[in-house]
Amino acid sequence: MQVSTQPVTALPHSPSPAASPLPEPLRQQLSNGVELVQLDLPQAPVICIDFWCRAGSAWESTAESGLAHFLEHMVFKGSDQLPAGEFDRRVEALGGNSNAATGFDDVHYHVLIPPAAATQALELLLDLVLQPRLDGGDFAMERQVVLEELAQSEDQPEEVAFQDLLRRACPGHAYGLPILGRREALEAHTPDSMARFHQRQYRADRCCLAVAGPLAGLDLLAQLEASPLGRLQASTDMTAPCSLALQPGDHTLELPRLEAARLLMAWKLPAAAQQDAVVGADLLTTLMAEGRRSRLVERLREQLRLVESIDLDLNVLESGSLVLLEAVCEAEVIERVQAEVRRVWEELSQHPAQEAEVERARRLVANGYRFGLEAAGSVAGMLGNSSLWGRRHNLQAPLDWMQHWDSARLSQEVLPLLNPEQAFCLRAVPA
Amino acid sequence: MPLHAQVESRQLPGGCPLWLLHRPGPAILSAKLWLRGGSSGDRPGERGAAQLLAGVLSRGCGPHSGDALADLVEGLGAGLRCEAAEDGTLISLKCASEDAPHLLPLLRHLVQQPWLVDDQIALERQLNLQTLQRQKEDPFQLAHDQLRQQLYGDGPYGHDALGVEQELKALDRAALERQASRLGSDGAVLVLAGQIPMDVEALLEVAGQPLWTVAAPQRQQGPAGWTGERFAASGDETEQLVLMLGATTVPLGASQALALRLLHCHLGIGMSSRLFVALREQHGLAYDVGVHHPARLGDAPFVFHLSSSSERAEEATRELLNEWQRLLEMPISAAELELALAKFSGQEALGRQTCSQVADRHALVLGHGLAFDFADRCLEQAQALTPADLHAAARSLLSRPCLSLCGPAAAIAAAERVWQSHPLAD
Repeated sequence: MQVSTQPVTALPHSPSPAASPLPEPLRQQLSNGVELVQLDLPQAPVICIDFWCRAGSAWESTAESGLAHFLEHMVFKGSDQLPAGEFDRRVEALGGNSNAATGFDDVHYHVLIPPAAATQALELLLDLVLQPRLDGGDFAMERQVVLEELAQSEDQPEEVAFQDLLRRACPGHAYGLPILGRREALEAHTPDSMARFHQRQYRADRCCLAVAGPLAGLDLLAQLEASPLGRLQASTDMTAPCSLALQPGDHTLELPRLEAARLLMAWKLPAAAQQDAVVGADLLTTLMAEGRRSRLVERLREQLRLVESIDLDLNVLESGSLVLLEAVCEAEVIERVQAEVRRVWEELSQHPAQEAEVERARRLVANGYRFGLEAAGSVAGMLGNSSLWGRRHNLQAPLDWMQHWDSARLSQEVLPLLNPEQAFCLRAVPA
Repeated sequence: MPLHAQVESRQLPGGCPLWLLHRPGPAILSAKLWLRGGSSGDRPGERGAAQLLAGVLSRGCGPHSGDALADLVEGLGAGLRCEAAEDGTLISLKCASEDAPHLLPLLRHLVQQPWLVDDQIALERQLNLQTLQRQKEDPFQLAHDQLRQQLYGDGPYGHDALGVEQELKALDRAALERQASRLGSDGAVLVLAGQIPMDVEALLEVAGQPLWTVAAPQRQQGPAGWTGERFAASGDETEQLVLMLGATTVPLGASQALALRLLHCHLGIGMSSRLFVALREQHGLAYDVGVHHPARLGDAPFVFHLSSSSERAEEATRELLNEWQRLLEMPISAAELELALAKFSGQEALGRQTCSQVADRHALVLGHGLAFDFADRCLEQAQALTPADLHAAARSLLSRPCLSLCGPAAAIAAAERVWQSHPLAD
């Protein structure tokens, strides 16, 4: 056995655990203004290339419902240079993989690839994303796939309940509408309407590229200037989606095939651009509902034993963030669950949280953040998303912002935003 | 580039193998303690015991009450999970490296001195019962549960780790005490990955506590398949029909297992995979389509899954069955094998990105009684396999699949007609 040469540390007091400095991202701009952000992770086995664009469902007109997501599917159907399926085959033959995701605000396409193939993968990805072929036959076939995706989600009653909550809580706003789109709208889309959406949204001032992994020897900037990304023009006359106004309310919904009732609640919180407030919201939701010793879990699951689970998720969004609560319980106790959620909030309003609870939340949030920086994919995702929306802080900054929050400030500035009176509350019960 | 900078193999006093995988990078530690004997070790009448015990372990152990333990773990922003899988119970700890001295001692307390308090057992049991109930909302879960019954009957792999409602309801402290006293007696292994404290063995020894006498997991024969009804269906008022087509095959490390893994890569990994291209890209039949083939100590399942609109049930069933039949009728091409090999090695690299992934993969392999470098050896051995080897594996292991359906009655009827007239049903 080895004898330790290091003293065993006492319970640490330092604010951020494992505080080795985080590496600085390298930020560059193409001549047309597109931002390239890179982070070198010399030990990572793969590189992640992540293209981000402000082209989520919130940018659709009513008639365009579902088009942002449908386009994300069609991109993988090839370009003039790449036949359908060729991109996937080439990337996967190099030992990599690719995927994409469409949100309310934005869409991103990413590829994970061994470093030696990164240059080639980047060229293929940009060709695919910026010059999609949108062939009529492929379009009709892929519409079937999207309709199957919609049907699959409609067979999950929990997803149906969440969609209903958002529809009622966010009337008149894109966040109240399904990203997958309305069935009738999907059936009416054409390759032309999709091409118009693509040309309008995928513009130089509306996208960025993030790359993370072992970057030694790569000169991406030169490659990008000569690529379709470097040839993009800026957009004109783009109106941003309106700010979110959440409609408080209360409703009971009977759902077939539901086995356990759900109490769902939605609150509006500050938009993603208000980064300090977002960090405060992250801390408070963690304090309230992450872990056995959090306020809501301890009260509702461990002590009163009314719920199978209770979660409070912060969804950071550009037009206004959403906090969503989900409690899974028997239908007979759902009113009691709702009353207890209110009571927990009232108790916190009357007696601010102990400093130890805030410290616990700080550590959970900080470690969750640091654990998320291990893999190239999550690093590129984090950098790409924040760069896309003009937030150019380094990786250390969110950990520092956390130190500006204490119990008193959380009570004054964030807790009032989670007042149950200001929430939309949906009780979904088995039909 | 080395995937981990340095590997040390040691042994705890008492016999538990300890593997240290030192990795540069962020100051994070992931610990995985694998204990042979998961839900497949549940005794008759006590199905759900392994998972219930796993859940109760962290509700009080050694000097810590359940609350004190949660305060310690959550207070340091760490993650601690105890869960039963089919072949083993896995305790996972993830933390900042500098907090490891406070948390590593928990591993010994959890396995050697669980409190097993009645009140906490009751709570955990109620939560598991509620989860079992809620899972029935998911048509994929229903089709999967049904297929498991077809493939394994009431055998060791025949139930969800959460258990069977009537038996779980009756599980009490006495049952858990029996189970707890045997924790690790069929073998255990501890893998640490990341930045590891210098004095790690001292941290894993608990003053005044008896030795934890365990041995490394040995190679042994795991549970076998059973193959009952070849066709089963449950009616549900859904929009889609869920189809699962599967057979029981061989354990991880068996002679044809690698050929089967390459078939899995060919059929189900990535957007260029055979099932994705044939069923989604060429027919637009589904959003989700793939292969489920977990590593097992016994006869592992090999399953095609797909969900498609009810009105397309006939076409979806026919295409899915034809894809399986194709495996039996003809070998894949040399180009397809090359692509499958690229995916197989790509998956290995992609699966070693984080400390947890690295620790998890090694704990699984060692927990199955296989060599530490098993995965690397497989990468080499795979290069020597031919399309004929894969075809032979398909013909010997996949010749009599079972079909499980969940969805509306009309869709089931249409699918059943296709099944009955298909050569696979013979």
